[in-house]
Amino acid sequence: MKYFIYSANSILISSDSDINSDLIQVLSSLKSIIEIDYKEYLIDTVQSINSLLVVFDSNKISVDDFYIKVKSIKTGKTKNKLKSKIWEIPVCYHTFYASDLEEFSKSKNISKQEVIQIHKSKVYDIMSMGFLPGFMYLGNTENRLHCERKLRPSLNVKEGSIGLALNQTCIYPQDSPGGWHIIGSSPLKFFDLKNESACFATPGDKIKFIEISKSKYESIKKRTL
Amino acid sequence: MIKVIEPGLYSNIQDHGRFGYRNIGVPYSGFMDQESARTANKIVGNDENESLIEITLMGPTLLFNADYILSITGADFSSLINNDKVDMYKPIHVKLGDTLKINHSKYGARCYLAISGGIDVKSILGSKSSFKGITTSYFLKKGDEIKVIKNNKSNFNFEFKSVFKIDSVLNVFKGPEFNNLKKDSVAMLLNKKFTIGVNNRMGYNLNEKLQIGTKSIISSPVLPGTTQLTPSGNIIVLHRDCQTSGGYNRILQLDEKSLNDLSQLKVGQIIRFKLINK
Repeated sequence: MKYFIYSANSILISSDSDINSDLIQVLSSLKSIIEIDYKEYLIDTVQSINSLLVVFDSNKISVDDFYIKVKSIKTGKTKNKLKSKIWEIPVCYHTFYASDLEEFSKSKNISKQEVIQIHKSKVYDIMSMGFLPGFMYLGNTENRLHCERKLRPSLNVKEGSIGLALNQTCIYPQDSPGGWHIIGSSPLKFFDLKNESACFATPGDKIKFIEISKSKYESIKKRTL
Repeated sequence: MIKVIEPGLYSNIQDHGRFGYRNIGVPYSGFMDQESARTANKIVGNDENESLIEITLMGPTLLFNADYILSITGADFSSLINNDKVDMYKPIHVKLGDTLKINHSKYGARCYLAISGGIDVKSILGSKSSFKGITTSYFLKKGDEIKVIKNNKSNFNFEFKSVFKIDSVLNVFKGPEFNNLKKDSVAMLLNKKFTIGVNNRMGYNLNEKLQIGTKSIISSPVLPGTTQLTPSGNIIVLHRDCQTSGGYNRILQLDEKSLNDLSQLKVGQIIRFKLINK
């Protein structure tokens, strides 16, 4: 791990090693330790795929002292490895909700059914959240789904849309412009200010997609409104 | 209650910001120029982090439906109450039926209007700051009615002197990808002048290009003040409403004071970067 003083009140912890589930676990456990042991100094943590930014209150501790504290935490795989939650997310891949599935399957020369099969057969890590409140970056997708972003972003991607770009898949938590290829939609709410925690999942958790029919989608959607 | 007669270009409610939710992708938001905003609050006896109205480039016209104590800080927008010029950096007593017209400024981009007591809007995720996707309204519109929290104390502060000054030399730390810059790019970045381009609460584009072809990085955390270099050579300085992560090289990080200064600069103005950790 590398430790870098990012600003007068933040430290960036990052890794050069290959991105994999183990690294995400190491970062998640480091994050939990900091959140518990240094709660009194902490303002925020931001976890990404290969790094963790820790923002603290510089009125309470100097950046040099906090740097020493953070650096002294032992990293690496712990014996009692954090159990990450696996969230099962219903997705409807019907073309009604999958505006880019047809074109994507043609460009890849894989049938639509196969794209769906490949997409839903893997358990994904939530690698980070950003872009929009609650927007999940999930990875890695199988090589066959690897793609560049769309040349022209869509002006209005609907809430719940499931996208593909590079070696990642994502979920749009609200209507937004966006450049990911949309291959399905989930009827769930992924960012809801009415709940005590606006997002049920956090980086370090895992996501598994479960295929549902259009009618099932509609009935769940009715309940979540 | 305060009625919005004309909303101005971009007037919005801000407090010091929304902290603790960056990991789920929620930006900080908060006062662009923290120094001016905090001073405005202190003058009217508010907590320095209290909600107020941030005003950008062209100010609003407001009608007061009760008596209030206000203060205006930051850039001088030649504000008028009814037809009288308003003193800045002083508590001002307005009465029911008074109209405040905040015009525009020659020097500086933003001013802050604090009202004794603070603004009575719902706090969401610990903050009253406006942000699209979090708050239902995110800038003032014609006809809006702004509610004010009652303040029974009269702990106003008459001692502040206007010290409004914009420093166009921005203090920076090296960013995590600073070392991806070539030698001549470093020299250019730290010695040349840059011009402010299109900007908003999320970030400031600079007009001059730096080295072209720098490969993107894996999407990584960013903060207000993070200065990014895009593969096409553009420089973007992120500000208070910025996203929580990004895929461009993070070449510099502004300090807090310089974020305040930057928020007061307008399109076409010149800045320089000064490295404070060599």
